Amino acid sequence: MTATPAPTQAPPPSMTISPGNEPSTLDVSVGPQHPGSGHVRLLMRVNGDYIVSIDPDVGYVHRGCEKIAEYRTAVSNIPHLERPCIIDAIHLNWGYVLPIEELQHVVVPPRGQYISTIAAEMNRIMSHLYWLAINAGVFSGHTTIFMYAFGDRDLFIELAEMLTGARLTYSFLPPGGPRRDLPAEFQKRLTQLLDYFERRLVEYDRIFFSNPLVIARAKGIGILRKDEAIRLGVTGPVLRASGVKYDVRKVEPYGAYPDLEFDIPTYDEGDSYARFMVRFEEMKQSIRIIRQALEKIPKGPVARKAPLVIPEGEAIGRVESSRGEITYLVVGDNSDKPSRVKIMNGSFRNLVAMPYLLRNVHIADMPIIYGSLDYWPVEADR
Amino acid sequence: MANQSQSRSEDLVNKLKAGFPDAVKGSKVEGTRRILITFDKDKFLELAAFIRDELGFDHLKGIAGIDEPTHKLIKVLYFAGSFSRTDIEDIILVLETELDRSNPIIASAVSIWPSAHFHERETFEMFGVKFEGHPDLRKLLTLDNWDGPPPMLKDIKFPEMGQR
Repeated sequence: MTATPAPTQAPPPSMTISPGNEPSTLDVSVGPQHPGSGHVRLLMRVNGDYIVSIDPDVGYVHRGCEKIAEYRTAVSNIPHLERPCIIDAIHLNWGYVLPIEELQHVVVPPRGQYISTIAAEMNRIMSHLYWLAINAGVFSGHTTIFMYAFGDRDLFIELAEMLTGARLTYSFLPPGGPRRDLPAEFQKRLTQLLDYFERRLVEYDRIFFSNPLVIARAKGIGILRKDEAIRLGVTGPVLRASGVKYDVRKVEPYGAYPDLEFDIPTYDEGDSYARFMVRFEEMKQSIRIIRQALEKIPKGPVARKAPLVIPEGEAIGRVESSRGEITYLVVGDNSDKPSRVKIMNGSFRNLVAMPYLLRNVHIADMPIIYGSLDYWPVEADR
Repeated sequence: MANQSQSRSEDLVNKLKAGFPDAVKGSKVEGTRRILITFDKDKFLELAAFIRDELGFDHLKGIAGIDEPTHKLIKVLYFAGSFSRTDIEDIILVLETELDRSNPIIASAVSIWPSAHFHERETFEMFGVKFEGHPDLRKLLTLDNWDGPPPMLKDIKFPEMGQR
């Protein structure tokens, strides 16, 4: 029931790779002191310059979101359920709200669906820019793209603040629809920003994605074959970079996606560079989606009033977050609190690919492969 | 269109029932995209192999435990989906089974769906469900110095977090 007092010295690692047969191998612990994208420890067994095997030790940022969710009301769950991935808060929020709305038989009005879609696609761009800055830029030693992407991300954050009132943790979508209508001048400013950002993407391509140094470091590294990607059940850009055209926005359309035209970028190579390129192309598609949504957005109410009680029953909802499909199971029991919330997110599902990819590769390729997965430890640990 | 999808789900359920008349205990088709199958845990691996090979559900999206202390059982739910078959890619097939709360044991699905690996480790840790045949059933998310019971059980409460 209670945790034993924290030892004064660091406890011996409870998770070690079982002793190997080769005497020449060495076990190296990478992390958990924030190797770049959150607190995760990778126990690597190396032989000379090569990684023999890897054991991901996760849970350093586990905070029991699913347990906490059983003691909070449906609405007061939203702020803490979007915390696991603050750079992708709209998607974590939306996925949780969909099953509740299904149980309550609440239908969000069309204008609300469009606003949610615009916010979600802005969030996808912001999340991919964060990935581009840290997981692609810093991990490959490219400091210019780090500065560029982080700077441009802030422009989107400012507009998100204008729309929702918060920079990152929006809690924007309670059951029934978004909290606010589009503010005055928002459409104009967002259109201006998209025009600017489209020009920037050309520049990103020139200095990063078409950069021979980046290509040399990422191409052919960490190949995940199509059949393996399916078998391992990975999701999101990692799956699409292995040639599987699977996107919840097309497979099970929600929000305003059925009305909007967009492509699902896929690559057949399955290497780190393909995963880079999928996210790059997705940003272009997000621009396309937002432009159409701003043009087509209907007039009318933004949200409907939703009951506070979650009726008895189970419902599953899913959205395509920046890190892949995020699926929520919500079990209601006619009270204002859910009796069970289960989160199945992209980072935790893609974790299974990490020991598979980080095997028989150079130690120097590890940051590139790890970065190309866009693994977000807090989202995986919940 | 809706009727077609409905009958598509019912076809899948009927195939499963024909193959495993004893193991499949119940089924529910919700809407066009959700199927719930309750099954008997004894024949789980044969059932899972059939679902993967014959019906085409090639990956697991996750595994959830649900604790029901009043009925003295722990439910385990498997969420299966398909990437390779475009005709059923929008369906989430939920496989549900009930385990004895005092000794929850079920065969591991890792040999059928490798994607189950970390999900089973999490359910083992959070609900104490033992997955027999799992290659590496260890704690995953909780602290190294946590030696309490599985924390997601309903009777485990953390008063310091306002849980009473």
